[in-house]
Amino acid sequence: MMGGSWTQMSEIAFPIKDLARRKFQTGLAVLGLTICASATLFLVIFGSNLGFEIALITVGGRLTSGFSNVFSRFILVVGLLNILAGALVTSFLVYLTMSERVRDIGVMKAAGCLSGSILGYFITELSILVFISCIAGTIFGILTHFVCTTLLNVLGFSVSQTLNLWTILFIFLVLILASHIFGALPIIKAAKVKPAEALSPLYSLGTTFELGKGVPSKLGFTLKMAYRSLARRKSATRQAIICLAVVLTLTTVTIAGGLIASRTTKNYVERAIGRDVVLIGHPDLTGRYENLLSQFFEAKEMGSIDYLDPEFLISESLTSKLSSISGVQEVDSRLVLEASVQEIPGIIPNPDDPNEALVVGDKRFDNALILGVQPERVVNEWLIMGRPLDKNDRYSTIIGDSLALEMFDNPQKQEIGIFKESFKVVGVCLDPLNNGKVVYMPLVTLSAKLGKSDYNLLFLKIDPSDRSRILAEIWNEISGTGFELSELNEILGKHVSFLDHVWSFVMFLPLFSLATATLCLLSYLMLSVAGQQREFGIMRALGAKPRNVMKIVFTQALIVTLISGVIGISVGLFVTFAFLIPEPVISQNTLVSVAGWLLLSLIFLCLSSLYPALKAVKKSAVSAMYSV
Amino acid sequence: MKEKVVLASSLCKEYQIGDLTIEALKNLNLEVVKGEFLSIYGPSGAGKTTLLSLIGGLDKPTSGKVVVFGHDLATYDEDFLATFRCAYVGFVFQSFNLISTLTAMENVAFPVELAGWSRERIEKRSENLLKLVRLRHRANHFPAQLSGGEQQRVAFARALANDPPLLLVDEPTGNLDMETGLEVVRILKKMKAKGKTVIVATHDERILELSNRTLRLYDGRIMDPDE
Repeated sequence: MMGGSWTQMSEIAFPIKDLARRKFQTGLAVLGLTICASATLFLVIFGSNLGFEIALITVGGRLTSGFSNVFSRFILVVGLLNILAGALVTSFLVYLTMSERVRDIGVMKAAGCLSGSILGYFITELSILVFISCIAGTIFGILTHFVCTTLLNVLGFSVSQTLNLWTILFIFLVLILASHIFGALPIIKAAKVKPAEALSPLYSLGTTFELGKGVPSKLGFTLKMAYRSLARRKSATRQAIICLAVVLTLTTVTIAGGLIASRTTKNYVERAIGRDVVLIGHPDLTGRYENLLSQFFEAKEMGSIDYLDPEFLISESLTSKLSSISGVQEVDSRLVLEASVQEIPGIIPNPDDPNEALVVGDKRFDNALILGVQPERVVNEWLIMGRPLDKNDRYSTIIGDSLALEMFDNPQKQEIGIFKESFKVVGVCLDPLNNGKVVYMPLVTLSAKLGKSDYNLLFLKIDPSDRSRILAEIWNEISGTGFELSELNEILGKHVSFLDHVWSFVMFLPLFSLATATLCLLSYLMLSVAGQQREFGIMRALGAKPRNVMKIVFTQALIVTLISGVIGISVGLFVTFAFLIPEPVISQNTLVSVAGWLLLSLIFLCLSSLYPALKAVKKSAVSAMYSV
Repeated sequence: MKEKVVLASSLCKEYQIGDLTIEALKNLNLEVVKGEFLSIYGPSGAGKTTLLSLIGGLDKPTSGKVVVFGHDLATYDEDFLATFRCAYVGFVFQSFNLISTLTAMENVAFPVELAGWSRERIEKRSENLLKLVRLRHRANHFPAQLSGGEQQRVAFARALANDPPLLLVDEPTGNLDMETGLEVVRILKKMKAKGKTVIVATHDERILELSNRTLRLYDGRIMDPDE
């Protein structure tokens, strides 16, 4: 029987001693996994709290259904990508760590150790590493969340610090499971390697000897060296690229999706309210209208009001006078009131059997703001579905997004009941007015129903270049009539700033996904540099300067970043346009911003490789050459 | 009087391993003249590899001076030493130290690529050197696909790529069998005939016989051969 320390090499004692003996490698693996686990957990709980904050806004009736739909879809996609990226990066780090052990496994096999025992030892090591890292990562993730949310709240934001224990447990289990599955793969593979292969100085898991096949050796010197090293570690390089691509997809979705969604939502608001539009009406009614618009960012209690009070009605003669003022480009006269509306079920052909018909919808009731408009003079351009009203329309309507989403199953196949009559729904608009619970119908029909020929609100689109003169002339015309002028640009500004505020929460996420991507690349490069240390030493002995070696490491980072960047950014943009934002509004400025931020992210990623590059030349040539 | 290629005076080299200080070279003095074939022998751990590393500018002495081709190597930075090695020194290591990701041809071309030669010149030079070591047919093979002897011959070809005036060769036959070792001895003979200055750390009798001078190194000191 062997005595001494050999007798203590039990299934648990060996892995613990082994990990303790390889302090640097163990430390690097634990650190990498911990940071990765904490970043994933942080992103998910921070993202869900942002989503919660946005949900609160929605539940409070402040955002229209169309807008909250954009936000919730964004948070959902980002959350799912976070979990996927976290699981992949964690698994990748475990894979790299375990790939390094193949030679030790060879030595053990050569010494007569059974494959089963080897598997047991290394799976135990894997479990120790993963559990320590995931527990530490969970603690750090929660702490980081508290620090960041506290900081944001101090800066004037309002982000919840609530922790959902089920979410934390779910992430923890996903990371543990993914790490074990992906970490066990190289161990199982390594346990099958023949001892002679495992002991060969040229063998390591995932390497290939079919180097640079089809690659001209006349590539630039640095590029050739970098490419060959990556090609040799084919399996690890492929995994690094997959990991980085997923993380960069996440970064792209958060950056591009965030910027485009922000621009899209602001654009919808601008088109719904209209630029350079002034409102004319009785002070009680203009105040009411402003309140209905402001609910989007500031919910206010409102009492009842008689919209058809004779004092509120604007005569045709005043409308004519105002429209004749030079610089008034459009006069949109409206008759506005609140009323109960009802969903009317529709009938559609059964897609499975054309001879049969299906009923869609129910008979739901709600209150809405009814706006009688002259279709040819409407100042808003806010349609998201269907067609605008035509001047020949009599029993057609356009309904707001909240009404469409909350009260209808298929609005364009159903009708809406107003004043006990049925109206066709020809379009849906995204309108912040009354939280999207609005119905636009032909003024002539509404006037006939109510027996009124006057209007109660006028919307004037004016020439912004001669604003003060036009406003003065309008004031002059309405003085003494009991009506007042209200500028909608101010409310529009408040809407835009509110949306900016909400999106500024969300734009905090790319920073963290970028940090995860950096960590992923750094871990890969650090382990790659450690594996190439001896060859870097040889190159330097033969006359390569430290900067030649640094260039090789930097080029490796550049190749990995560019390949994963192209994949990740393409997928990210596809996800953004295909699933994230319906009918995105993309201005040239948005495109430049998205391209700029993505480019900056890639540059940042590449620059982060300077650290492993410096590490690669830190040792003297001779000690690098003789390093094991 | 022949030009002094290497001049080492009071050369000391210490390694620190934890609390332990290991003196690899102790107050060593050495002169090597142009065209000399010097063999250094001695037991394992005597300091042979350390001495070659210091002469080649791979490492710096703890104290003392090592002047090679008039350059006091301890006073220069890493960039200068890299250029110096590329221009003046050809290394052959015991464990071959070929770059695993490059073919035999590319390994040979490595030092001249660093020196910035033209593509045509590099190709011609590499081919000639592979012919010299009788490995032209293995030009496109990777180190893992070559035998130990072939790898060592590629290492020789690589060491000669820049036509360096000084060759530092560390145990060139240490990892080879008798037959393969003969090929290495043949190459060394050619180097001697060409008038290169060669310093070899070796135990191989065939190489010792080739030498103009032999030195016995023991415990970091040059000893009298009879001592």
